[in-house]
Amino acid sequence: MKRSKTMELGVGLFMLAGILGLVFLGLRVSGMTLNASGDTFRLEANFANIGSLKPRARVTMAGVTVGRISAIELDTEWYDARVVMELDSDLEGELSRDTTAAILTAGLLGEQYVGLSVGGDPEMLADGDTIRDTQSAVVLEELIQQFVSNMVND
Amino acid sequence: MIGSLRRLGRFGCNALESLGRAGGFLLLSAFAVPSREGFGLWVRQMHFVGVLSLAIVLVSGLFIGMVLALQGYTILVEFGAEQALGQMVALSLLRELAPVVAALLFAGRAGSALTAEIGLMKATEQLSSMEMIGVDPLRRVVAPRLWAGFVALPLLTVGFSVVGIWGGYLVGVEWLGGFEGSYWGNMQSSVEFLDDVGNGMIKSMVFAVVVTWIAVFQGYDLIPTSEGISRATTRTVVYSSLAVLGLDFVLTAVMFGGLS
Amino acid sequence: MSDTPFVVVEGLHFSRGETEIFRGVDLQIPRGKMTAIMGPSGTGKTTLLKLIGGQLQPDAGRVLIEGENIHAQSRKALFAMRRRMGMLFQSGALFSDLSVFENVAFPLRVHTDLPEAMVRDLVLMKLEAVGLRGARDLMPAELSGGMTRRVALARAIALDPQLILYDEPFVGQDPISMGVLVQLIKRLNEALGLTSVVVSHDIKETLSIVDYVYVISDGQVMAHGTPKSLDVNQDARVRQFVHGEPDGPVPFHYPAKDYFSDILDAGVRS
Repeated sequence: MKRSKTMELGVGLFMLAGILGLVFLGLRVSGMTLNASGDTFRLEANFANIGSLKPRARVTMAGVTVGRISAIELDTEWYDARVVMELDSDLEGELSRDTTAAILTAGLLGEQYVGLSVGGDPEMLADGDTIRDTQSAVVLEELIQQFVSNMVND
Repeated sequence: MIGSLRRLGRFGCNALESLGRAGGFLLLSAFAVPSREGFGLWVRQMHFVGVLSLAIVLVSGLFIGMVLALQGYTILVEFGAEQALGQMVALSLLRELAPVVAALLFAGRAGSALTAEIGLMKATEQLSSMEMIGVDPLRRVVAPRLWAGFVALPLLTVGFSVVGIWGGYLVGVEWLGGFEGSYWGNMQSSVEFLDDVGNGMIKSMVFAVVVTWIAVFQGYDLIPTSEGISRATTRTVVYSSLAVLGLDFVLTAVMFGGLS
Repeated sequence: MSDTPFVVVEGLHFSRGETEIFRGVDLQIPRGKMTAIMGPSGTGKTTLLKLIGGQLQPDAGRVLIEGENIHAQSRKALFAMRRRMGMLFQSGALFSDLSVFENVAFPLRVHTDLPEAMVRDLVLMKLEAVGLRGARDLMPAELSGGMTRRVALARAIALDPQLILYDEPFVGQDPISMGVLVQLIKRLNEALGLTSVVVSHDIKETLSIVDYVYVISDGQVMAHGTPKSLDVNQDARVRQFVHGEPDGPVPFHYPAKDYFSDILDAGVRS
């Protein structure tokens, strides 16, 4: 039992590393955030078609990640998709009312995310507001279909 | 005809009997009340099966992640989908490769050693003499080893995944020049913590129970000669590899195959 | 009370697979005496010790230790009964991951709550009794065969048992360590008043220290008596065993067909 001190230390480190690894898998790999609420604010946007957008996808401005999608649900009033976004609280009151939200795709087959671009309206969006000007996801199949039918028509 | 039927019947009876013995053995030892020094014994075994298996598991994980990224990149780039590399590496590691490969390595590294160690203790009458001293060897020798295996393998699997994903990053981003943001971003948007990481961990816990159980039982049940020990060690590796691969199919079908 | 036997074995039957090892063995081990169980190799002497210690279940018959049937005990009661027994295994069976000191301390630590200082004193006393107090920090792998058995003896008497079972204590020892062990076992038994069972086929050494002998052959007790009475026993099988004659009722040849025709057969085949 002489070596048990170093042995215990080794086992302790081993278990700690395992737990840290699990945290890494949670935060870095599956993109969970520890501070889900707190220094963020909510914006909503309605899209006619979200394609394959998923909760926890990125929300970007000019390519910089500024937030995440927290929920996607069906809006039963208009029968379109309501996307709830959690954005950095730094941006609260900085986005103009005519900001547009578009669902973009990274590369041809990559993940889908929401891109925001600011307009020129002097009034700003506040917590819980809805973005009016949205652009739906580009669905590859529809594009191809259009392309093919155009060819046939020509 | 009758003779071969009888042989089949005898084989079935023997198989059932040893399965029953193994089951009783697992119950008796896994739920043996931990003794005072039980924790110390467990730490010792954790060191033996966990810490000492860390190197081989991590190195293998790194290489497998790197190979995945290399193979995946060359295929995905043909479809112009190299952004999906992170997703591919992470999902195949978390769901499949990390639990299975870590369990196979564990069976080879720790399982065979457990069998040989317990078998040697049996051959040198250490288990008998422990019984005669009035200490239950199931509690003193087997239980700490079982529990160490149960805990160590899932932890090793986590390590395997982490190192593998990092290895994929090294190759896919640092070496082949993929875009770092899409490696992590794609991964994060497609990996579900509960579905992917969670199910991978469940797999790995099942494998941990099965591999450790086989290893320890083979050691405890072997014929105490040098030939018996070497046979039991081989059996441990063969049986646990087959069990891991077979169970992996069943678990995958239930978890991801929509059979639930 | 003191003249009732400590261990009684009645009508013991035991078989391993197809082989019958015991076919009705009756023994009585007197209290405070040394009893030897002897017999040719392969007659299951070690198996008998394991049956007495409750490690194996007999097919029929019973083993009573101070009137209690050891095979009818719960697991817990069985382990409690074993605290009163010590067993010296053929190989010593020291725990290879513990030092000599820890090996001897092991029974004390698991069965008593003695303070560390007391455990130390007791262990050193037991080691002194077998002459190995200086070897307390060695590991079992560093000991010679004779030393291993002496440490195992110290461990077996650590809890001051009432019954001690010796499994082939003299086998494979050089003459010096054999002499040491013989003297040690004899002295310890006299000093502690133990009831002892010695299983052995080392006739000369064993007969020199025991009070009573059972000879087992073919799964039954073939003869029993004091060492003196066995020495003059006229039964051919007993005489062959006690005096070590190479041929007799136990044949020198393994059963085979006729030598002459066997050799001729081989000639024809090639």
